[in-house]
Amino acid sequence: MLSVKNLHARVADKEILKGIDLEVKAGEVHAIMGPNGSGKSTLASVLAGNEKYTVTEGEVLFEGRNLLELPVEERARMGLFLGFQYPVEIPGVTMANFMKMAVGEIRKYRGEEPLTAAEFLRMMREKCAIVELDTRMTSRAVNEGFSGGEKKKNEIFQMAMLEPKLAILDETDSGLDIDALRIVATGVTKLRTPENATVVITHYQRLLDYIVPDYVHVLYKGRIIYSGDKTLALKLEKEGYDWLINDYKE
Amino acid sequence: MELLELIRNGEFRHFGGGRIESACGPLAAVDPSKLKMTVASGVSASIVILHTRADETVVDIELEPGASLVVDDLYLAETFAEVRIRQAADSRCRLTTVELQSANADYDIDLDGAGASFEAGGVFVGSDSDHCVVDLTTRHNVPDCTSSSMVKGVVSGKATGEFRGHVYVAPDAQRTDARQQSRNIELGDNAHVITKPQLEIYADDVKCSHGATVGQIDDDAVLYMRQRGLSEAEARRLQIEGFVSDVVMRCSVDESFREALNGCVKTKLERL
Amino acid sequence: MDKKEADIIGEIESQEYKYGFTSDIETETIPRGLSEDVVRLISRKKGEPDWLLEMRLKAYRHWLTMEMPTWAHLDIPEIDFQNIIYYASPRKRPQVDSLDDIDPELKRTFDKLGIPLEEQMALSGVAVDAVMDSVSIKTTFKDVLAEKGIIFCSMSEAVRDYPDLVRKYLGSVVSYADNFYAALNTAVFSDGSFCYIPKGVRCPMELSTYFRINAAGTGQFERTLIVADEGAYVSYLEGCTAPRRDENQLHAAVVEIVVLRDAEVKYSTVQNWYPGDKDGKGGIYNFVTKRGVCHENARLSWTQVETGSAITWKYPSCVLLGDNSVGEFYSVAMTNNFQQADTGTKMIHIGSNTRSRIVSKGISAGRSQNSYRGMVKVARGAANVRNYSQCDSLLIGDRCGAHTFPVIDSRNASAVVEHEATTSKISEEQLFYCNQRGLSTEDAVGLIVNGYAREVLNKLPMEFAVEAQKLLALNLEGTVG
Repeated sequence: MLSVKNLHARVADKEILKGIDLEVKAGEVHAIMGPNGSGKSTLASVLAGNEKYTVTEGEVLFEGRNLLELPVEERARMGLFLGFQYPVEIPGVTMANFMKMAVGEIRKYRGEEPLTAAEFLRMMREKCAIVELDTRMTSRAVNEGFSGGEKKKNEIFQMAMLEPKLAILDETDSGLDIDALRIVATGVTKLRTPENATVVITHYQRLLDYIVPDYVHVLYKGRIIYSGDKTLALKLEKEGYDWLINDYKE
Repeated sequence: MELLELIRNGEFRHFGGGRIESACGPLAAVDPSKLKMTVASGVSASIVILHTRADETVVDIELEPGASLVVDDLYLAETFAEVRIRQAADSRCRLTTVELQSANADYDIDLDGAGASFEAGGVFVGSDSDHCVVDLTTRHNVPDCTSSSMVKGVVSGKATGEFRGHVYVAPDAQRTDARQQSRNIELGDNAHVITKPQLEIYADDVKCSHGATVGQIDDDAVLYMRQRGLSEAEARRLQIEGFVSDVVMRCSVDESFREALNGCVKTKLERL
Repeated sequence: MDKKEADIIGEIESQEYKYGFTSDIETETIPRGLSEDVVRLISRKKGEPDWLLEMRLKAYRHWLTMEMPTWAHLDIPEIDFQNIIYYASPRKRPQVDSLDDIDPELKRTFDKLGIPLEEQMALSGVAVDAVMDSVSIKTTFKDVLAEKGIIFCSMSEAVRDYPDLVRKYLGSVVSYADNFYAALNTAVFSDGSFCYIPKGVRCPMELSTYFRINAAGTGQFERTLIVADEGAYVSYLEGCTAPRRDENQLHAAVVEIVVLRDAEVKYSTVQNWYPGDKDGKGGIYNFVTKRGVCHENARLSWTQVETGSAITWKYPSCVLLGDNSVGEFYSVAMTNNFQQADTGTKMIHIGSNTRSRIVSKGISAGRSQNSYRGMVKVARGAANVRNYSQCDSLLIGDRCGAHTFPVIDSRNASAVVEHEATTSKISEEQLFYCNQRGLSTEDAVGLIVNGYAREVLNKLPMEFAVEAQKLLALNLEGTVG
């Protein structure tokens, strides 16, 4: 589904990704871990197409297409979803209106008929339930005045609405209390199918108690320095990163 | 007058104009008719300008790159003042203006170098038939400068208080951060407040805001204080003192001078 | 500015004005220029009573002594008032009640504008007065309204049929000496709408006037007078468009509203006069005086969406004369390319316990200049006045300007007046977020702008809100590179 080869990227004059290789297949869950500043969020942004970053080398194939030459919205319409670490507020634009447009665009791209108003409302109700969001939230402005937990639930709600092939969740667990964490993580698990895949970027093992990964990668200084199965996350939790990164210290 | 005494006998050095080239103690100028001041690159200075007689005054201040200056501009008499401050890159200026009389203080600030910052706090207190004017124009001529102002007014009797603020952001003065606040309390049925906080913006990547309020004493707070045994008059005065004190207390590097000034303000407030 | 931002700005600037067609209608005009003779000619053509001619002449003579106001933040080229045609009317004057009698070309014009003069009117429940160039073409629903005693007709008819009412109130809110353009309007106004809601009557439908400038070289000077008698209610809508022409055309209207005790008037405008092309050529000069007087317990609410005109000079205001009266002003002003707008309001608090609220949302793009100018005045005897003003500016691109010129003038110690203003741009983060959810940049900009203006759009009657939203989006239309 996603194939990343030797990906290099920079912001301004600073090289942040220094040769990433990653293969994600349908049905899989990958976790990307690593200390602060290792390039995790940059990787997510580059895959989504944030133009703040410049790709200097490497290639990324998504569903067989060269992802790097597509604009952000086309990647989204193909089924690449980014759950933001810091979802932005858009004053005055209601969630319902926003999702109606987004779902409309994505259905159009897939060649599906537009939903009727009734179908859309029903869909919103169902998807809200997945993350235990009050449906009244949909008449509020996008992320405006949302608590930290609501923002993250809202990201997963949108993921449920848009039914992506590949979801990249950037620090979806940060700033969540234990109940919200459970709700968000269970939501993500409910959305798993054999046809889609998830990349979870996180600092902490605790999210992986709910979203059990098939692979765990450690990102450090712009490279994936180690990959393993879910037990790697437990070991990192207990022992930290030092045993891994000592070799890479300058 | 206590303030004058402190300036003459305290640790202030009389300043008649010129270039400040190295660090020095607090400077003071009393009733200057013309004052020209340059603060050299990297030097920090402070000056008290005291107006004690009806007059006209022109003050011209230039801050070289990285210079910093604290200006306390105090009006105890009906003075017409024009104060121009030009700031080069990374310079800092902190202005406090206090008008306890009819006065007309016209400030013209030019932020000419990136990283320059200007911050103003002001109070005018008008009673009887005073007419207090604070006119503050801040021009962001280049990118990456910040400015903020908070001007508070209290007027009673037949007094008029005017704040005219103008923030100008030049084309391409990106990443400007400019804030402007005007807060006013009117007392009695014949007082008059006029406030014009204006923004003129020609660049898009900016943070600019302004606010203005005209209001009155918080009756709930007065009631609360009376319940604790204060007279209504005391409670009202205390509230107004609280309203202006944060600006008054930022004045001057010298503790006893600040206390004396605060004393002047209190005396004035009793006349409201 | 990075590439993406440049693209967005390019898109926004490539907007098209879709009402720019001209209609091939036979028009009767008088020669260019202004003189006492022209004023008399207009009055004669309209068969007016002497008192009105006198008022016009007084206004004209006063106008001669006045100068064009220059205090606004506008760059107004010199206007040759002798090079304007002050009266133009479609030759076939439909003095009719059947739509069949209307010039078919005229009907097509209004159909193109999306103004339903026909049966669908009944369904949408809006009574329309359509004013083309100088003359009111057709007022619908007169009979239904007449049953309730509501008068809704062209100003010419009102002068003829209800002279006492017109004489009592015309010029009572905006005197002929009020300002340069009001004086000019009083001298030469050719038509407009008149509306009277009797005591205690709630007008059962929205009343609406559509203004259309069609003939070349003409100015449009319409006059609107609305009187809501005690306890009455009416919601009034106004829309305007003009053909695309290289020349600038002058529109100087006056709207007067009298809101008597316990009455309520809502006045909504979607102003979409031709704004000129992307190089700033052509477009309407829109110099308008709008003001209402509120008596005791009355309420007047102005809502405006200003997207058109090369230059807008307009300050719909409320004189809160009676105790407990309420004034409101909700505005979205969007400027693009070389448009200039200086618009806002005055809230004059004279009565006690009067309240006012101002919400202004400016949107500037291209090389346009967009100013909010407002005044909140509290008179000495006005106790317990409350005002809250919120003025926001949104800048799209780094070559436009957004300005805020508020004045608070309070002479009463019990007043509480608050003003706040902020400036923002559409952030990269917001665009990225919308793109990541599959929206094109163009749609994202439209969505964000509409969200920004929502508080004001919500105040418009439903159909108008939809039209206004489309207009805002249309002004941002283009193709994504």
